[in-house]
Amino acid sequence: MPEDILMEIKKDYVLSKLRDGERIDGRRLDEIRPIEIRTGLIAKAEGSALVRLGNTMVVAGVKMQPGEPFPDAPDQGIIITNAELVPLASPTFEPGPPDENAIELARVVDRGIRHSEAVDLSKLCIEEGEKVWMIFIDIWALDDDGNLMDASALAAIAALLNTTVPAERFEVGDNFPLPVRDLPVAITSLVFEDKILVDPCRDELSIGKNTITITTDQNDNIVSIQKSGPFLLSEKVFDRLIDLSIAKAKEVRRLLKDV
Amino acid sequence: MISRKIVLPGDLVSTNPKTAGPGTYVEGGKVYARVLGLLDKTDLGVRIIPLKGRYIPSVGDTVIGIVKEVTANGWIVDINSPYIAFLPIPENPAMKPNRKPNDILDIGDAIIAKVMNIDPKMKVTLTMKDKLCRPIRVGRIVAINPTRVPRVIGKKGSMIKLLKSELDIQIIVGQNGLIWLNGDRRKVSIAEEAIYIIEQEAHTEGLTDRITEFIKKRKVELGLAEPEEVEKTETEQAEAPEVGEEEKTDSESKAEDVRR
Amino acid sequence: MEEIKLIVDGKRLDGRDFEELRPIKIEAGVLKRADGSCYLEMGKNKVVAAVYGPREVHPKHLEDPSMAIVRYRYNMAPFSVEDRKRPGPDRRSIEISKVSREALEPVIMKELFPRSAIDIFVEVLQADAGSRTACLNAASVALVDAGIPMKGMVTSVAVAKVDGVLVLDPMKEEDNYGEADIPFAFLIRNGKIESITLLQMDGRVTAEELRRALELAKKGAMQIYQLQREAIMRKYIKEEEVVE
Repeated sequence: MPEDILMEIKKDYVLSKLRDGERIDGRRLDEIRPIEIRTGLIAKAEGSALVRLGNTMVVAGVKMQPGEPFPDAPDQGIIITNAELVPLASPTFEPGPPDENAIELARVVDRGIRHSEAVDLSKLCIEEGEKVWMIFIDIWALDDDGNLMDASALAAIAALLNTTVPAERFEVGDNFPLPVRDLPVAITSLVFEDKILVDPCRDELSIGKNTITITTDQNDNIVSIQKSGPFLLSEKVFDRLIDLSIAKAKEVRRLLKDV
Repeated sequence: MISRKIVLPGDLVSTNPKTAGPGTYVEGGKVYARVLGLLDKTDLGVRIIPLKGRYIPSVGDTVIGIVKEVTANGWIVDINSPYIAFLPIPENPAMKPNRKPNDILDIGDAIIAKVMNIDPKMKVTLTMKDKLCRPIRVGRIVAINPTRVPRVIGKKGSMIKLLKSELDIQIIVGQNGLIWLNGDRRKVSIAEEAIYIIEQEAHTEGLTDRITEFIKKRKVELGLAEPEEVEKTETEQAEAPEVGEEEKTDSESKAEDVRR
Repeated sequence: MEEIKLIVDGKRLDGRDFEELRPIKIEAGVLKRADGSCYLEMGKNKVVAAVYGPREVHPKHLEDPSMAIVRYRYNMAPFSVEDRKRPGPDRRSIEISKVSREALEPVIMKELFPRSAIDIFVEVLQADAGSRTACLNAASVALVDAGIPMKGMVTSVAVAKVDGVLVLDPMKEEDNYGEADIPFAFLIRNGKIESITLLQMDGRVTAEELRRALELAKKGAMQIYQLQREAIMRKYIKEEEVVE
């Protein structure tokens, strides 16, 4: 991976500001960057969303088609989540199959949607044991200014909210809106010593890509956690992160209600 | 009688940071072990004698290496370590004007050299400007776990002295776990066998006595000595030095040329 | 969802109490060629870990001039599971390798070995639930056995929520049909849990349950830590030196 030299240069500045409890973009430690959600921008997709989280930009597209169910869930639809860190999004991304970062991103987003049971998969059975709807969520990073994780999770659920099941195209009945019944929201925080920086931007990650992502559902249950980065997490910080992530997710979830 | 107990990484070994020695680290005013090893604690300090691990070069070490590559400026030498070493042309006294580096040392040649310099990025530079240093053209090289080298040398060089006096051969011990033996073929074989025993039983009691017995037995078996002929050596006297002196005496003896 | 009772008469399906670990067997230094190694069984998991290094970095461009790079490969043998697994890394293995590496990296004193690599390979020969935790426990012992300098030991265990209760060290059925799975790993130093080095979770728990899960995991980890220590001691006890 080519070294992002500018990151190193930013590090001292970030640390210096942080010592006074300040962030380089003037945000409070627990303040999320401005969020913009646009849906339905890809007409060819069954559902789509573009999310801006500050300067971070992600587009998610949903495609659906009938397929064979898993043997242990013959009457349940299937979700498959994929993420691509395409080279246009960052000087450090390289072409090729998804690396561990892209895989982790996709799997964490997937777990949030799956375990919040956001999509009512039982309503996606076409013929039990034979045919169910398969939902492909593809996350495309367009600009990585930090915290692709939260932007991707948001784009995924927004795209699902925007999805119409294309039953007519496959001649299996009438089109219907995808049954979405929960709104999982991922909150990623950068951990530095005893400080927690919610929604870190790229420059802030220069002090260490040590993050925790906590995804919660609309009843404030925790549905996914991922510690990412080679660091020691103290129990105290973890404890604070739980309530903080629940509170922050509530704020973001309000934006989803308008989608 | 005290025993040196085994400690694991993270075990608290002292509450006085001033005593922290090799194999330890200090955090929050406390001294912890950082490697698996034997705890060596005295009034002067605490250190961990590692039981496992690769050879990490240190300036002044005698090492045995194999030439991997010849360049216009010198030789690239594998010293059985994570770090490849470099022997610059001016550091090899055998190098004369009008001669090419590969006339002096070629790929595959073994050498005895000293670690002259290590930069912060662990670029290791060797020198052969020492009477101990030489290309190895004869004899045999034996490889052991580098952490066992101090045991092969023994306290105040006792073990080496024992081997050389009993077997009348040349021995040079590289800190990197490679040992050069030269002399009568059968005696070299006995020494090699003895070295493997020392490596295996490094930390056990009465090792020197057992090695003495072993050498005597093997000499008789190979027809190198009559049972009565073997004389008693002065090794017992070298067996009981002060604990904690070992580091110093080891480093003194490690450079010792034990040719007779 | 299938209706499977996982808790019957206050006991788990395999007869364990809620806070009871599966049987664990650990043996240090089982491989001749590796610098350090460990064989570990945790329930039906059977895993082998090997550590090589510090050694030269290949390919060269991965070298870090200021510290050792740490690589971790979690790999499942094709015969380790019911349906043959295609050899080679899948997405799950790649993610597990990443988070496991990140669990060990802050404990390994990488700065002592610039421009070198410490490679950790863990092979799952037989898989049960919690194979990533078994692998981390084995890797930690293998690192110690290799003489790698570390701040302490890493010990890993999962907590699951099944039939509404939190249970320690879930086995296959509890993992498959439970409501949540939370793998933890800790840095343990001098018999004390210092910090969390691995934390994942999927399923659904409340904030309060999550906090209790952490406490339960800590209890389990302390027991495993003792077994890890004993395994290393068993191998090296003959080395204990008696000085007059």
